[in-house]
Amino acid sequence: MSNKIAVKVDDLTVAYNYKPVLWDIDLEIPESVLMAIVGPNGAGKSTLIKSILGILKPIAGSVSIYGKSYEKQRSLVAYVPQKGSVDWDFPTTALDVVMMGTYGSLGWIKRPKQKQKKAALEALEKVGMLPFKGRQISQLSGGQQQRIFLARALVQDASIYFMDEPFQGVDATTEIAIINILKELRKAGKTVIVVHHDLQTVPEYFDWVTFLNVKKIATGPVKDIFNDDNLTKTYGINYKVSIQE
Amino acid sequence: MSSAQIEIQLIASLVAIACAIPGTFLVLRKMAMISDAISHSILPGIVIGFFITQDLNSPLLILLAALTGVITVVLVEYIQKTGLVKEDTAIGLVFPVLFSIGVLMIAKKANDVHLDIDAVLLGELALAPFDRLLISGVDVGPKSLWIIGSILCITVLLLLAFFKELKLSTFDKGLAASLGFSPAIIHYGLMTVSSITTVGAFDAVGAILVVALMIAPAASAYLLTTDLKKMLILSIIFGVLSAISGYWFAHWLDASIAGSITTMLGVLFLIVYLFAPSKGIIAVLYREKQQRIEVSLLTFLLHLKNHDDENERHVNHLNEHINWQKVRSKIVLDLALKNNMIMIDDSIVFLTPKGDKFTTQAIDYIITNEDAQIEGMKDDFFLFRG
Ligand SMILES: Nc1ncnc2c1ncn2[C@@H]1O[C@H](COP(=O)(O)OP(=O)(O)OP(=O)(O)O)[C@@H](O)[C@H]1O
Ligand SMILES: [Mg+2]
Repeated sequence: MSNKIAVKVDDLTVAYNYKPVLWDIDLEIPESVLMAIVGPNGAGKSTLIKSILGILKPIAGSVSIYGKSYEKQRSLVAYVPQKGSVDWDFPTTALDVVMMGTYGSLGWIKRPKQKQKKAALEALEKVGMLPFKGRQISQLSGGQQQRIFLARALVQDASIYFMDEPFQGVDATTEIAIINILKELRKAGKTVIVVHHDLQTVPEYFDWVTFLNVKKIATGPVKDIFNDDNLTKTYGINYKVSIQE
Repeated sequence: MSSAQIEIQLIASLVAIACAIPGTFLVLRKMAMISDAISHSILPGIVIGFFITQDLNSPLLILLAALTGVITVVLVEYIQKTGLVKEDTAIGLVFPVLFSIGVLMIAKKANDVHLDIDAVLLGELALAPFDRLLISGVDVGPKSLWIIGSILCITVLLLLAFFKELKLSTFDKGLAASLGFSPAIIHYGLMTVSSITTVGAFDAVGAILVVALMIAPAASAYLLTTDLKKMLILSIIFGVLSAISGYWFAHWLDASIAGSITTMLGVLFLIVYLFAPSKGIIAVLYREKQQRIEVSLLTFLLHLKNHDDENERHVNHLNEHINWQKVRSKIVLDLALKNNMIMIDDSIVFLTPKGDKFTTQAIDYIITNEDAQIEGMKDDFFLFRG
């Protein structure tokens, strides 16, 4: 971790209809951390990521990536959406989905060429999905689909990675494979931000954590702030990490 | 064939292609209903355009009417955003209103021009060759042919230029937005093309056929392929096939061309729905039956592998032991024999080395999901096609 700030969020408030689902969020994410965003269902975790990436327009507040607006820094950012947000029956193959990660660097109109294909194949290799490159995506298991999404983010070759529940529906082996890749990214100086539901594994996987439930409850190093107090404030019930199995 | 006949088929085919391209994306975006809404609600646009231009084929009229189509989409989305009703309800609210306004306007003002409701719904394809385009007195062909031809050219150019963007934003709107390909621009671009195509095709083929030509070929193609490019090509082929066969069907029946083409589209979809190789009803039923037999075969081979006792392996005892009916036992025995997996010696069944190896590999594959060694068997057995 260096002391540069990779992502800065100021007074962010977001609403879909009337009631804000994120309220006055201030957040600073330092460069080169592996950060978990935790909070109950509907806490606004996906909404926070989407607002940072300019997918949603906030009512108030601003976001900066390395001090500049997201629009100027797009190429530094990769995104893995929540798996359920796309139609897996779409007529396309695993390789083709991974290639989509290269579209940002291509810009409008230009088509992917051999170079982009090579990058996509390497990313598939990295996540152990090369044998499935020609598969139609609906014929992949949930965990395999998740790996494809990860490969697509890797191919973006970004500095900051946002991942919305990359461990959703994956088995223990895949989970370890994915977390190892994320740890490697952090080692290489990248910043990785992950929406995570399994509180047991937070201390083992992450070095930074943000508690979110409509408001930001706390953010900081796992060893300092991952405690019962913050968990209780976030999840509402009396939470004890220590006695969880 | 007379030249008018050729021209009608040509127009119908071009309309089919021009509809199939945006239609494919509408189907993939689950927006089939929107094309229905557009095709009806452009009516007031056409009428107003007609009052202004006095020419049903004027480009200005086409643009005005297409604008009504886009306004429909905006209205539908606006109503939907209030969160009070669902999308299909919003569509159901908007287009009948706009369509009725168009109908009233025709009734009040356009009674004596050639704009009537039948023509709007079903078109006048048979008359299309008689409205010629004259350039400094020279007849260069039917006007509709030129209109739809120009629209098709633009559609194809846009498709070639923005294929990647269309694919990305259709599959994953969130990623498209985060990469800077505004899904809104692509969405309204697609809506504009769909509206313009609808208007351009409207006069020739009518509102119902436009919807059918946008949705049916794409829906049929969707059942046949898992590749977007192939889906586009298949939609185009299906559209053209229906257009031409529909024309001849109408000729033979002496009936409405638009109606016949729509019927052909329905028939085509039904055929694909029944016979598509992997997603079709018959293929699915066949596959399920085959799989049942294959499972029986494996159970049988396993039984042989695990029992040395001759009693257990006597042909006549097998049905009792594995609990099958006669017919099934015979099918399974024949299948095993045909594949040289068993030998029958004096009514006692033996596993051949091949059968033994197959059983081990198959069970291994089912449990570990390791692909490698089973490759050779994939073509013969559904169970191993993954
Ligand atoms: N498109 C939408 N329209 C209206 N409300 C929405 C929309 N998307 C999300 N919401 C609401 O916003 C709130 C936050 O949703 P969000 O998806 O950000 O939650 P989350 O923390 O990611 O939850 P989960 O753990 O279930 O993924 C929820 O109350 C949800 O109902
Ligand atoms: Mg979420």
